[in-house]
Amino acid sequence: MPFDAMNDTPDEALLVLYANGDPNAAKALVLRLTPRVLGYAARLLNDQTEAEDVAQEAMLRLWKIAPEWRQGEAKVSTWLYRVVTNLCTDRLRKKRGVALDAIAEPADGRTSVAEGMIEGERAAALKAGLATLPDRQRQAVVLRHLEGVTNPEIAQMMEISIEAVESLTARGKRALTAALADRRKDLGYSDD
Amino acid sequence: MTDNDEFATDDGLEAFFEAGRADAAVPSADLLGRIMADAEAQIAVTEVVVPRPGLFTSLIEAIGGWPTLAGMATAGVVGVWVGFSQPAGLDMVAEKMLGTADTSYLVDLVPAFSADFEEG
Repeated sequence: MPFDAMNDTPDEALLVLYANGDPNAAKALVLRLTPRVLGYAARLLNDQTEAEDVAQEAMLRLWKIAPEWRQGEAKVSTWLYRVVTNLCTDRLRKKRGVALDAIAEPADGRTSVAEGMIEGERAAALKAGLATLPDRQRQAVVLRHLEGVTNPEIAQMMEISIEAVESLTARGKRALTAALADRRKDLGYSDD
Repeated sequence: MTDNDEFATDDGLEAFFEAGRADAAVPSADLLGRIMADAEAQIAVTEVVVPRPGLFTSLIEAIGGWPTLAGMATAGVVGVWVGFSQPAGLDMVAEKMLGTADTSYLVDLVPAFSADFEEG
């Protein structure tokens, strides 16, 4: 299938084409899925280099499972989010004990626009705040509010009920709120 | 209402989530290249791993597959059974076909064989 014709092709169909040896399907999957996989890993790990390693490993596992992929059982994106979650959890377990202050603040490429700086600082504060959450809460909040994944999909991914997902997200947001409260005025919020 | 409660409104956190979504990590060309190289390498591995039919399988397929082989096996077994038991009706069939029960028509085509065999 020509590469241009693959824009509307579902991930699952592309994976079948890939398993049949179609390199254009691989290219389409790489361009479509890598940003999501990397973005999610970076939000869980707060480390770009490690997130890239996780993204590459997760995609490699996708290539390996492609010939055995059973359509209709799970969405490719859901499967990938689960793999990334597990890989990140393993890495975070090994990194436990690293002080929050030691986590690098992301470089902000924005320059003179004040609004832009505040926006960048908000993103940095969010990263720092997310890093304070327990793993499961962080995963649920990131998937729901940053990756835009639905609660039923998160429930399937985390192998818990939808109610448990809602509970995790709510607790995560409360904890995040508390973590961000200290920086609120600096980030352009006022009590008015 | 405490600061935290006020901050917990959707609008309060949503501003951070919005900033977080806009700040998503962007894959570098190097990362995309590495992942694409993995994909292509895995295509090659998959093609190698797919089992090709062996000589035995090819032979079976050439004669028509397992059903044909089963028919041949049955015919072979029947042949062995006929050879050992020599059903009584066989002599009658031979008489009918050859016109006599006399076996004088039999000719030893390899007369020297028995001598060779005895000599070793």
